[in-house]
Amino acid sequence: MAGIGFELRRLLQRDSLLSLLRAYGFAGVISSGPWVLSIIGMLAIGFMSVGVVVPDALVTQFQVTVTYLIAASLILTGFFQLAFTRFVADRLFERRRDVILSNYHGVLWVVAALSGALGAAAAALLFPEQSIAYRMLGVAGFVLLSLIWIATVFLSGMKQYMTIVWLYLLGYGATVGFAVWLRPHGLEGLLAGFVAGQLLLFSGMQAMIVRDFPSPRFVSFECFHERLRYPTLAWIGLLFNLGVWIDKFVFWAWPPTSQAVIGPLRASIIYDLPVFLAYLSIIPGMAVFLVRIETDFVEHYDGFYGAVRGGGSLQLIERHRNGMVATVRTGLFEMIKIQSIAVLLLFVAGERLLAWLGISDLYLPLLYVQVIAAGLQVLFLSVLTVYFYLDKRRVVLGLCGLFVVANALLTGLSLQLGPQAFGYGFALSLLLCVTVGFVALARSFSRLEYSTFMLQ
Amino acid sequence: MTATALPRADSVDVMLLLEGTFPYVSGGVSSWVNQIVRGFPEYRFGAVFLGSRPEDYGDMRYALPDNFVHLEVHHVQDVHEPPAAASHRGDAKAFALNATLHETLRAARTAQGGGAPAGAGELLRSMVPMLADGEPLSERAFLYSERSWEFVTDQYRRFCTDPSFVDYFWTVRIMHAPIWMLARIARSLIPAKCYHSISTGYAGLLGAMLRQRTGRRLLLSEHGIYTKERKIDLFQSTWIADNRGVFDKDPSQVAYFRDTWVRFFETLGRMCYDASDRIVALYETNRLRQIADGAPPERTTNVANGINLPRLAALRERRGDDPPPVLCLIGRVVPIKDVKTFIRAMRTVVDRLPGAEGWIAGPEDEDPAYAEECRSIAAGLGLQDSVKFLGFQKIDDILPKVGLVVLSSISEALPLVLLEGFAAGVPAVATDVGSCRQLIHGLPGDDAAIGAAGDVVRIADPEALAGAALRLLTDPDAWRAAQAAGIRRVESLYTQDMMFGRYRELYEWALQDPKGAAPGEGWTGGA
Repeated sequence: MAGIGFELRRLLQRDSLLSLLRAYGFAGVISSGPWVLSIIGMLAIGFMSVGVVVPDALVTQFQVTVTYLIAASLILTGFFQLAFTRFVADRLFERRRDVILSNYHGVLWVVAALSGALGAAAAALLFPEQSIAYRMLGVAGFVLLSLIWIATVFLSGMKQYMTIVWLYLLGYGATVGFAVWLRPHGLEGLLAGFVAGQLLLFSGMQAMIVRDFPSPRFVSFECFHERLRYPTLAWIGLLFNLGVWIDKFVFWAWPPTSQAVIGPLRASIIYDLPVFLAYLSIIPGMAVFLVRIETDFVEHYDGFYGAVRGGGSLQLIERHRNGMVATVRTGLFEMIKIQSIAVLLLFVAGERLLAWLGISDLYLPLLYVQVIAAGLQVLFLSVLTVYFYLDKRRVVLGLCGLFVVANALLTGLSLQLGPQAFGYGFALSLLLCVTVGFVALARSFSRLEYSTFMLQ
Repeated sequence: MTATALPRADSVDVMLLLEGTFPYVSGGVSSWVNQIVRGFPEYRFGAVFLGSRPEDYGDMRYALPDNFVHLEVHHVQDVHEPPAAASHRGDAKAFALNATLHETLRAARTAQGGGAPAGAGELLRSMVPMLADGEPLSERAFLYSERSWEFVTDQYRRFCTDPSFVDYFWTVRIMHAPIWMLARIARSLIPAKCYHSISTGYAGLLGAMLRQRTGRRLLLSEHGIYTKERKIDLFQSTWIADNRGVFDKDPSQVAYFRDTWVRFFETLGRMCYDASDRIVALYETNRLRQIADGAPPERTTNVANGINLPRLAALRERRGDDPPPVLCLIGRVVPIKDVKTFIRAMRTVVDRLPGAEGWIAGPEDEDPAYAEECRSIAAGLGLQDSVKFLGFQKIDDILPKVGLVVLSSISEALPLVLLEGFAAGVPAVATDVGSCRQLIHGLPGDDAAIGAAGDVVRIADPEALAGAALRLLTDPDAWRAAQAAGIRRVESLYTQDMMFGRYRELYEWALQDPKGAAPGEGWTGGA
């Protein structure tokens, strides 16, 4: 989210409570807008279709299908997201804007081919009993979602944050609209509505991109050159997304906590819904994180490297280093505070919320754990972001690897321990990663000048 | 420059340590090295040539003498691939030694009147083996260890007055970088019975490392003063950063990083003096300067350059008794020779002594613009007929026709042309630079009793130069007295045989195994 700092600082400069709220609101919208809109969209389609699409199981089949498509496309494109973000940032730094669009198209082609092939193979081999329409729509949805993630990365790289939010609003609005319109056709109708909405979203993004970023070449694969690619970033993207989803996979695969929904796809009703609800609670944490990192931290970060390159004294370099440490510390504390408030509010209102949504209060203990876990995930994300600023990619890779392994093992253990332990696997694995991340971050900061000067 | 043509041997008697000179660069020092090697055909010589970068040198400028049996070439600024970066802690004891060494060297420098760095030799002896790969002070430890970082930042905090840390950091890295290369050379060099360095600087440091590593004796012969010449280079170089702001910049104070480089080379000089068994200067002023720079006085000595006396003495037969009214400046037409002052002096000389001529015998291709300016000054003063630009001339051809050798230089060391003039029976008028006063008036004592072989005047003073020249040319008795003094001085002090004699004494002693004796101990020769 580089470059957002300017806008945030402008909002903060007016120095009133209202401007503060606006800055945090803005940060909340741009950091959480896209995925909040997608979660709400999917929940909305579900609510509106219950009782209309008969039997109810078809709605569940639709939601589970889309969840799998989203998870698989995120993990697949994880391999490209961060590496391509870095490619865009480097070219912007070199003021070579003109090569970015053609490479974006290059990545799109590769992702389309890859997701198309994998999707087609899965549709052909794993869903022999489903209709041709279902299978084709599934493949189309998978390809479109993958392309949308890449387009989102590109627009973020180009600092078009508000454009993204508006396009997602439009796209998921249309998705809900199409799905409601086509729901008389059952599962295939809902899926067709979803695909049509996603197609509109992707077309809108593509139209904005082609309009705003002219390029002399249409397609280029320069970003896959050995010299310009970042294999570490590719693995980080893959592992992070895998880590975020692996506890869900474990719950889906474990027979006592899951049921077959459609074809080989299984879902865990008791686990999934609290998880998605819990993610809605991290909006304030994300906003605080964005404001702190992009304003105060970046100021000292720029000061630090400016002093290093521009002939500042060692004392000045150290002062900025200490400034970075102080802002990271403040930012993390503020996020812990704000997430604690979110947790407390949910503890108070959780029961009523579930009742209002028509969900059994048996889910309540799991929801509590998941809200805490989601808060920890924000902390984890912010530690990783600081590491990205310090360009310590190997540490991030290690933390993401730890996350995948710990989340898989601890979630598996929680299943052995029984329902009262559900959700603790995800929460504890994040707690472990955040703790390790904090310790490693403290060490990295204490050696920052040494490693900056001596090891580069 | 190809490595294939370099002679190789298994061992040598004398290993010369040559920085930026013979056989790849021509000039006074290189000719001297050539003269020495040819003067001792009974010894087998080898050399380590240290250059800056390979592209700075062309082919060899000298045919290698037959007894020059080993040559290896290294470049201190050659970018070699540094070892892969890897963080590690570093060895506490080794870095403590390093801190002590720097303290010792700093103390020696700031001590009143210089002085030797007491104990630095011992420290260096224990540290040099640690410079090897895998040892506690390896290049890797210097570049990447935490203790190295701690030492550099500590030094910066305590001593650096320039605000820019990044410049400080890289200055330290770049100036120290050749040390590991020198240590590698010292480890792999073929055995020699003694070492002879022709300058301090990096060659001198290599000499110190070899002295401590092998225990064989080290001779140091300095023609110029390396530290002084390096200072001139550094003050002229613009690439060294100066980051002081407009207000805290005191123009009378040199930029910190220049000062850092100067101190670094002064320190290398001190380490070399400390390790050398004998320290040879060309003349007394330089010897005193070496002592001021930290050379132990009891190890210093003067050995002047010597000329081929029989050849030049024969030229006396070809001249008359009275001085021809010809003043001759023999040297390249370049600003350091201050040819313009000579031309201006000629105006006065010709006014008072019609018919007098000023000859300028030397190549003009080094600085054509300056040569052109000299010609137009001569024309402007109406001296077209009396000042003659002769281009390069053989001294044997012109010395018999000359009444006075003139040297108007603003800087000289020990100019052979004065000695050659004396030997051929020509007195001289020279500016008071380098050893000119010593050559013309003699050192106090027996030397001065010989009398003056001409006169010495201030630099850039055409009137004084003209006056001194006229006094000699218009008074044949005074001229003949100066001629006689010049001949006696050169015959008694500045012949090639004497120079070889002194170096024979030095080599014979240095070639013996010192059997663990400390540098300078057991000197058996004269002062």
